[in-house]
Amino acid sequence: METPSQTRNIPIKTLLLGMGNPYLSDDAVGIRLVSDFSRRHGSIPNLDVLAECSIGGLNLLDLLENFERLIVVDSIKTQGGIPGNWYRFTAEDLRETMNLSNVHDANFATALELGRRMGMKIPAERETHIFAVEILENLVFSDRLTEDLEKAYAVYSEEIYRELCSLIGIRPL
Amino acid sequence: MTKTISIDPITRLEGHGKIEIFLDDEGGVKDCFFQIPELRGFERFVVGRPIEELPRITTRICGVCPASHHMASAKAVDGCFGNEVAPVAHKLRDMYYHAHYIHSHIAHFYALAAPDFVCGPDADPATRNILGVVAKVGLEIGGSVIKARAMAQRIQQILGGRFTHLVWCLPGGVCKGLSKDELETIKPMVRELSGFADFSIKLFHDVVLANPAYVDIILNGPYTLDVHNMGLVDENNAPNFYHGQVRVVDFTGREICKYKPEDYAQYVAEHVEEWSYLKFPYLRKRGWKGFVEGLDSGIYCATPLARLNVADRMATPRAQEAFEEMFQTLGGKPCKALMANHWARLVEMLQNVEMLERYCADPEITSDKFRVVPKGITGEGVGIVEAMRGTLTHHYTCDKNGICKSANLIVGTTNNNAPIQMVTKKVAQALIKPGKEPTQGILNMVEMAFRCFDPCYSCATHSLPGQMPLDISIFDNDKLRWHFKR
Repeated sequence: METPSQTRNIPIKTLLLGMGNPYLSDDAVGIRLVSDFSRRHGSIPNLDVLAECSIGGLNLLDLLENFERLIVVDSIKTQGGIPGNWYRFTAEDLRETMNLSNVHDANFATALELGRRMGMKIPAERETHIFAVEILENLVFSDRLTEDLEKAYAVYSEEIYRELCSLIGIRPL
Repeated sequence: MTKTISIDPITRLEGHGKIEIFLDDEGGVKDCFFQIPELRGFERFVVGRPIEELPRITTRICGVCPASHHMASAKAVDGCFGNEVAPVAHKLRDMYYHAHYIHSHIAHFYALAAPDFVCGPDADPATRNILGVVAKVGLEIGGSVIKARAMAQRIQQILGGRFTHLVWCLPGGVCKGLSKDELETIKPMVRELSGFADFSIKLFHDVVLANPAYVDIILNGPYTLDVHNMGLVDENNAPNFYHGQVRVVDFTGREICKYKPEDYAQYVAEHVEEWSYLKFPYLRKRGWKGFVEGLDSGIYCATPLARLNVADRMATPRAQEAFEEMFQTLGGKPCKALMANHWARLVEMLQNVEMLERYCADPEITSDKFRVVPKGITGEGVGIVEAMRGTLTHHYTCDKNGICKSANLIVGTTNNNAPIQMVTKKVAQALIKPGKEPTQGILNMVEMAFRCFDPCYSCATHSLPGQMPLDISIFDNDKLRWHFKR
């Protein structure tokens, strides 16, 4: 059996971000998913993990430099969406997730575009992958997920975990 | 028939906000309101937690100025433990905070304010953003902006151990000092930032001051208010962002009061309006007289311009030169032209870089005596710093075991809530004319009124029990009614 320390090197330099606020109910789902991934696999060469990322806009751009691939796990609210459903897309067909929209300086797409125009070495659109979990509540203070999202966690977390492993190029444990 | 114009969501503003402009039968502006539908509740959330955890928790109030909350919280917690703090810790915190200011002021000036001036207030909204700015001023300048922000970020990371949401300050000091090697890494970045601060002042001259139309907007436009000014000052009445006393000066330049952080409740009170979650602070001794200007009004601004208005001088020489030039150009001090806030940020940034230079040359800065372990719990503390968006107050009480019993926060933007309401209405009344459909440019110029304040509503809204209601506004012909429901 492969142990975390024997996990093979992944092919391109990758940054994995868990986006959200740990104290705003379901907003923390991305943080929890990435934390669980990190706990399961430990350190993996060529993969940097920032499980708790609560910033956006130009601040986010600062983080991306010198990475070839970016994977973001965030929350999303869509019209009629069912909590626990999740979506995967790339920056080529970017939709605004909860924490990638930033009205203070620049939203994620603008920040990426700015970085590219500046000649920064940042992940290409096709190498910017976003996983977004449909949530119910992100305006009530709590360090727990809402009941429905918690109940569904085992299912969607495992699905996303396997998808992440496949994308990153490592074997699920 | 009454018509309502809504601008929702507001662009380039942290947190969700909504302006509603109510027109009368003739099409003139009858009234104008800001609606803040977001809820924050940290004041309740932190009760029952160990008091020393609060500087780590309150950084989560906001992703824009987490360090401001960390610093104000740390100072309030210092107070709860008797206020004995290692001197070098104060220096390190202040040094960090100057880097944080630079980081924030660059973002505001180049990403939020500059689009209005560089691209023009009536430019297509799709291009009136930082990409439009870069397209106009050139890639090289855009690259300098990105690089300067990254350096300011890196300095924060070196000092505080992480790039955001600090876990650095402890009661009595900080958990990590600055090594000599780290200091040597910081020094060249400070030199570059110093040049960038000079460059930004020059750019303001070239782009804004060289354009008579923009100077006219600043000096003669409707973006002025006869309200008072608030800011933290040192013993020489120079701006101090981390430490000092709060000074309030009226719009004629006369000092109204100067108080220590622990006395804030004697000087500041908060008014509540049923249609907003955000309170309206005012000077307690003047009383709440409504949204009115004038010497008798209790309303004040706490902004970069207000900080310079309350100051007798800057703390550093190059900033002093820029300070003198700014007020000379604007017709004297204090200045009521709110658009000058954008200029004031750049003057502050000069002081920030010069203070970083001073700390880099301070032999004590790498001392390993960066924390004093507290000897006891006194149970109450008030921390005040200048957040980039205004005077930030954290007031905590705790029991004999150090468990938080109460917390009160007056957040930077909250101080400016009433002035924002007032100037937005004033600008709308000046620009929206009967019988003419407002253009995008006009609506943007209304937004420019609040952008002077760089408001950040994600942390300014406060506690309410229960859940966040959804917002609905209802208007009838004669009377505006606001309803909030889940």
